[in-house]
Amino acid sequence: MQIMLQYEAEIWQSIGETFVMVGVSILAAILIGLPVGTFLFLCRKGQLLENRYVFSVLNLLVNVIRSFPFLLLVVFLIPFTRLLLGTAIGTAAATVPLSIIAIAHYSRLVEQSLLDVPKGVLEAAVSMGASVREIIFKFLYIEARSGLVLGLTTSIISFISYSTIMGVVGGGGIGDFAIRYGYQQFQTELMMYMIIIMVILVQLIQFTGTTVSRVIDKR
Amino acid sequence: MITLQNVSKSFSQFEAIKSVNLTIEKGEIHGLIGASGAGKSTLLRLMNLLELPDTGDVEVNGQTLTRLSAKELRRARKSIGMIFQHFHLVANKTVFDNVAVALQLAGSRKSDIRLRVLECLQFVGLEKMAEKYPAQLSGGQKQRVAIARALANNPQVLLCDEPTSSLDPNTTAEILTVLNNINQQLGVTIVFVSHEMDVVKKICSRVSVMSEGEIYETVTIEPLGIQAIDNRPEYFVQQLKRDGE
Ligand SMILES: Nc1ncnc2c1ncn2[C@@H]1O[C@H](COP(=O)(O)OP(=O)(O)O)[C@@H](O)[C@H]1O
Ligand SMILES: [Mg+2]
Repeated sequence: MQIMLQYEAEIWQSIGETFVMVGVSILAAILIGLPVGTFLFLCRKGQLLENRYVFSVLNLLVNVIRSFPFLLLVVFLIPFTRLLLGTAIGTAAATVPLSIIAIAHYSRLVEQSLLDVPKGVLEAAVSMGASVREIIFKFLYIEARSGLVLGLTTSIISFISYSTIMGVVGGGGIGDFAIRYGYQQFQTELMMYMIIIMVILVQLIQFTGTTVSRVIDKR
Repeated sequence: MITLQNVSKSFSQFEAIKSVNLTIEKGEIHGLIGASGAGKSTLLRLMNLLELPDTGDVEVNGQTLTRLSAKELRRARKSIGMIFQHFHLVANKTVFDNVAVALQLAGSRKSDIRLRVLECLQFVGLEKMAEKYPAQLSGGQKQRVAIARALANNPQVLLCDEPTSSLDPNTTAEILTVLNNINQQLGVTIVFVSHEMDVVKKICSRVSVMSEGEIYETVTIEPLGIQAIDNRPEYFVQQLKRDGE
C-alpha cells in the first residue's frame, strides 16, 4: 500500500483521465451511436424506413470501424484528430478515436436490441396513426429499454478497455499509468493495484447496468 | 362506411389479393372468413393502409385513404381502431399507459387523457387493472386492454384480425360480448376476420367468404348471439355420454 501513497497524485490524475476518456465516449455513444443504431434498424428490409442504400452505407461504415485493430485506428485517425482539435496528443485528442469506436460499437448493440422488439407492437403503433418519431420514442425505445441499458453497459466496459492503450497518443489514464510506472519500472505491486482498481470499476458498472436493466424490464 | 374498389395486392410475384370489390355498411359487423392464407389479414390491413394496394382505391369514413398525404393518413388512422390476435400491447407500459398512448398520439390534453382512459377501461371491465403490466394479465384481459386502446379516440370503425383465435371458448365469448356492445352501444362498424365458423356466426350480420385472394361470396345472416358457456362438470359429463351413444 505504501507505494500507492507514494504515487497518490499521479494515480488520481490517471483515474481522472480515464473518466474523461470514458465519459466522452459514453456521451458520443448516446448522442450519436443511439441515433445511428436506430437508423440501422429502421432502414433494414421490411422496417419503417426501409432503405437499402442508407442501410448498406451505415452497415459498412460500422463494420469497417469495428474491424480495425484499435491501435491502428488511433494512428490512422491522427490527421483527422489534428484537423479537429489542432493537436493529436493528450487526453482531449484521445477522446476522438475513442468516440468513433464508441459510436460504431454502441450503434451495433442498439440495432440488435431494437430487433428484439416484436414487430406487431410497431404495427399497432402505425395503426394508431403514430409518426416515425412517435414510434421511436413512445414505442421502440420503451420496449427495448432494458436491452439498450445492457448494451450500454457492455459498451462502457469496452470503452474502459480501449482507453487503456491511449498512452500511445499521450492520453494517459489508469492503463497508461500501470504500464509506465508499474510494468516499465518493474514495480509489479503497483501494476497489480492498478489492475485491481480496473476490476472493481468494471464490476461496479456491470452490477449497476444489470440491476437497472432488470428493474425497468416489465416484459 | 368502407369501400374497396378494384383493390389488389401482390407480395413480390404472389398475388395475395386479386382485384377485390367490397362495401361494408355503417353499423355492420362484417365477417371475413376463409382458410389460412386466403388473404383475410391482407384485405383487413388494406382497410387502414397497413398494406398499400397496388391498384384500386380504399375509402373509409368518406375519405379516400389512397389519396391522402402521409400526415392526413395518420390523422385518418386515429378514427380506425385495430386489434390483433396477439394483442400487440407495449409490455413495458402499464395498462393505463397502453391506452393513454393512443390519446397522446391524438394530441389530447393530459387531464382529458386520464378521464378517457378510465372510461375506456371501465367499458371493457378493467378499471381495477390500470396499474398492472400486460405480463400480469390473462390473454382475455390483454385483448380487453387492446380493445380499450383501439376505442380511446372514438373510432368509427374497428378492424379485428382473429381477435379470439388464441383464446379459450369462455374468454372468446367474453370478447365477443365486448365487441357486440361496442357495435350496439357505440355504433362502431366492425370488420371481423376469423377462420372459425362458429365464432363468425355468433356476431356477424354479413360475412364475406374469401378464397385465394378473392371474395367468393358475401352472405347476409342472422347473428346467433353469444350464449353463455356451460362450465358445470355435469354438463361436460352429459355431453361426453351423449356423444358416446
Ligand atoms: N408481408 C408479406 N410478404 C409476403 N407474403 C405475404 C405477406 N403477407 C401475406 N403474405 C402472403 O399472402 C397470402 C395471404 O396472407 P394472409 O392475408 O395473411 O392470409 P390469411 O390471413 O387469410 O391467413 C399468404 O399466402 C401469405 O403467405
Ligand atoms: Mg391472418
